[in-house]
Amino acid sequence: MGETEKIEVRDITRIERIGAHSHIRGLGLDDVLEARAVSQGMVGQKDARRAAGVVVQMVREGKIAGRCILLAGEPSTGKTAIAVGMAQALGTETPFTSMSGSEIYSLEMSKTEALSQALRKSIGVRIKEETEIIEGEVVEIQIERPATGTGQKVGKVTLKTTEMETNYDLGNKIIECFMKEKIQAGDVITIDKASGKVNKLGRSFTRARDYDATGAQTRFVQCPEGELQKRKEVVHTVTLHEIDVINSRTHGFLALFSGDTGEIKQEVRDQINNKVLEWREEGKAEINPGVLFIDEVHMLDIECFSFLNRALESDMAPVVVMATNRGITRIRGTNYRSPHGIPIDLLDRMIIIRTVPYSEKEVKEILKIRCEEEDCIMHPDALTILTRIATDTSLRYAIQLITTANLVCRRRKATEVNTEDVKKVYSLFLDENRSSKILKEYQDDYMFSEINEHEEDVAAAGGGGAKRRIDTGDGDAQAMEH
Amino acid sequence: MSYQNWLDYLQSAEKNSMLSGKLRKVHYKFPDGRQMAEEYNMDTGIVQRRAWRKSKQLMGEPEWELELGEEPRQINWNGNNSRGGGGDADNVSGGEFTVRESNSAPLLTKRVTKKNIEWRIRNLPYPLNVYNVSAEPDLHAIVVRTSNKKYYKVIPVPDLDRCGMPPIQANISTHHQFNTLIITYQKPDILCEMEAQVLLLLKNVETETDMDDLLKGLLAK
Repeated sequence: MGETEKIEVRDITRIERIGAHSHIRGLGLDDVLEARAVSQGMVGQKDARRAAGVVVQMVREGKIAGRCILLAGEPSTGKTAIAVGMAQALGTETPFTSMSGSEIYSLEMSKTEALSQALRKSIGVRIKEETEIIEGEVVEIQIERPATGTGQKVGKVTLKTTEMETNYDLGNKIIECFMKEKIQAGDVITIDKASGKVNKLGRSFTRARDYDATGAQTRFVQCPEGELQKRKEVVHTVTLHEIDVINSRTHGFLALFSGDTGEIKQEVRDQINNKVLEWREEGKAEINPGVLFIDEVHMLDIECFSFLNRALESDMAPVVVMATNRGITRIRGTNYRSPHGIPIDLLDRMIIIRTVPYSEKEVKEILKIRCEEEDCIMHPDALTILTRIATDTSLRYAIQLITTANLVCRRRKATEVNTEDVKKVYSLFLDENRSSKILKEYQDDYMFSEINEHEEDVAAAGGGGAKRRIDTGDGDAQAMEH
Repeated sequence: MSYQNWLDYLQSAEKNSMLSGKLRKVHYKFPDGRQMAEEYNMDTGIVQRRAWRKSKQLMGEPEWELELGEEPRQINWNGNNSRGGGGDADNVSGGEFTVRESNSAPLLTKRVTKKNIEWRIRNLPYPLNVYNVSAEPDLHAIVVRTSNKKYYKVIPVPDLDRCGMPPIQANISTHHQFNTLIITYQKPDILCEMEAQVLLLLKNVETETDMDDLLKGLLAK
């Protein structure tokens, strides 16, 4: 029982959630790499998008290794959006690793190890391998659990093609796969014999009438022909990092205690590089270099930058795209100041794409797209007000107001968000500007503010603070209702 | 219609040979990375077992694949040694396999005799009239079909491929007995000739002395 419950929970998380950039489906470029005004979820930022399009082209050709591109611009000008757009434009075949500059600081791994793992995750290797697969329609499946609840499960499945039928015994691991994929009689599946990967191709046509209601995404396929077991040449796409992990794993008893993410020896990496190059020469493998995207790159410190300098020179390096919203600032780990917080020698190896603030029209367009993404119907007037809010405060704040205004609107059982809803949430939630203004005004009433200024009347403030804070809340509400 | 290619291929291999009891075992290492092992019966000069090992792409030791002959029967039948690996007492644990055919599923083995190539498919309980065994020259194979749609198998015939012969329907005969379907294919003359040539070729391969015989000799003293 516990088993099935767990599976249910896992399934809920599979429902698609709406993220900050989930509306982006590409870079919105036409065939000659000209940026369309509004396309694929991207708005404005034409020059930057065109530049990104050129970079995408460069990655697709796959000849250039170790180039570095910096996306620089003010906060919320679409740097991450452009990176997401690039990932979408490249498609699922090209590895695109996205990380944040602060991700490399871990107690378990050195910074450079984390960086080289990220670099190697961004290089795909397509390997052609002949494997034995079983492809057939499930006639019957039975999985028996022991009465005690724990212990070995016993599984049997009968598969058939148009020509034959065979019984298979299932191992423990593959039973888990069967349950995860919710495989039942009538499904057409493939099993990779070596890896034990189970893949559901769809439901058999002969079972199409079994249920009146089927899910929208149910696919119907023909029952396979011929033999159940086939030798097929499959193309695996694995990243260099995955090959590293498989080959560096401590075998046997120790494997229990060492995770996948331990440090990988340089010798292992060198060996694998040689092997991959050998395969490429023999035509067995194809190297598919991808993109490593490092957001908030100013969070890297001087060691990482000098490591990157060297790592980018390797001919196995991917194209690295970085994004930062800093101007001239201190390089982390030093006292030197440098543009974007990146040392000049690394900056010299980069090409820099600048993003510019959005115009009012573009902001409106973005808000409209976000409304659609969140299934929110908004009155044109409300949208105008929201656009105004976005230009006065920030785009992110305005986007957050869409969600909240939509909730408020549903509270009063309306379908369309109107100006009143937007005003209401505007008064309910502060933006950064108003919040900091209030902080400045009432600085003295907040905790610990007295330490610097009035050290003698600590006791007095401790008593009166709470009372006055309530007053503050009332004051806010009044101020906003104007 | 020539076996010259096959002879050249064997010629190119690095060969090792040894005697063990009544068997002569020959190991071939081909320049393309493949390996082949054969067991010849000393009395008849006929191949009893032949296995291939192809080099694997990603990591891991490749396994031997039997082209001909039978795997040694095992009582503790589990996934690990169903592929001809060693049947150690350690891996009787079971449950380690991912997926395997149930032991009531049909099992195909191949055997070569002086005049014929024989396939035995065990665990096939249906009467003889259910089966339809046909030679398919396009596929370079013999195809077994069943009218009740329970069994289907494309059997490649590498021996015939090696001498460039397509399979011929007239040479096939079938027989059913004790839950076993026996398919017999009469060897064409060119195949017999090729096998004789291969034996001639192997004559020149140096054979190591058998350790068993040596030991027996020592013990006798």
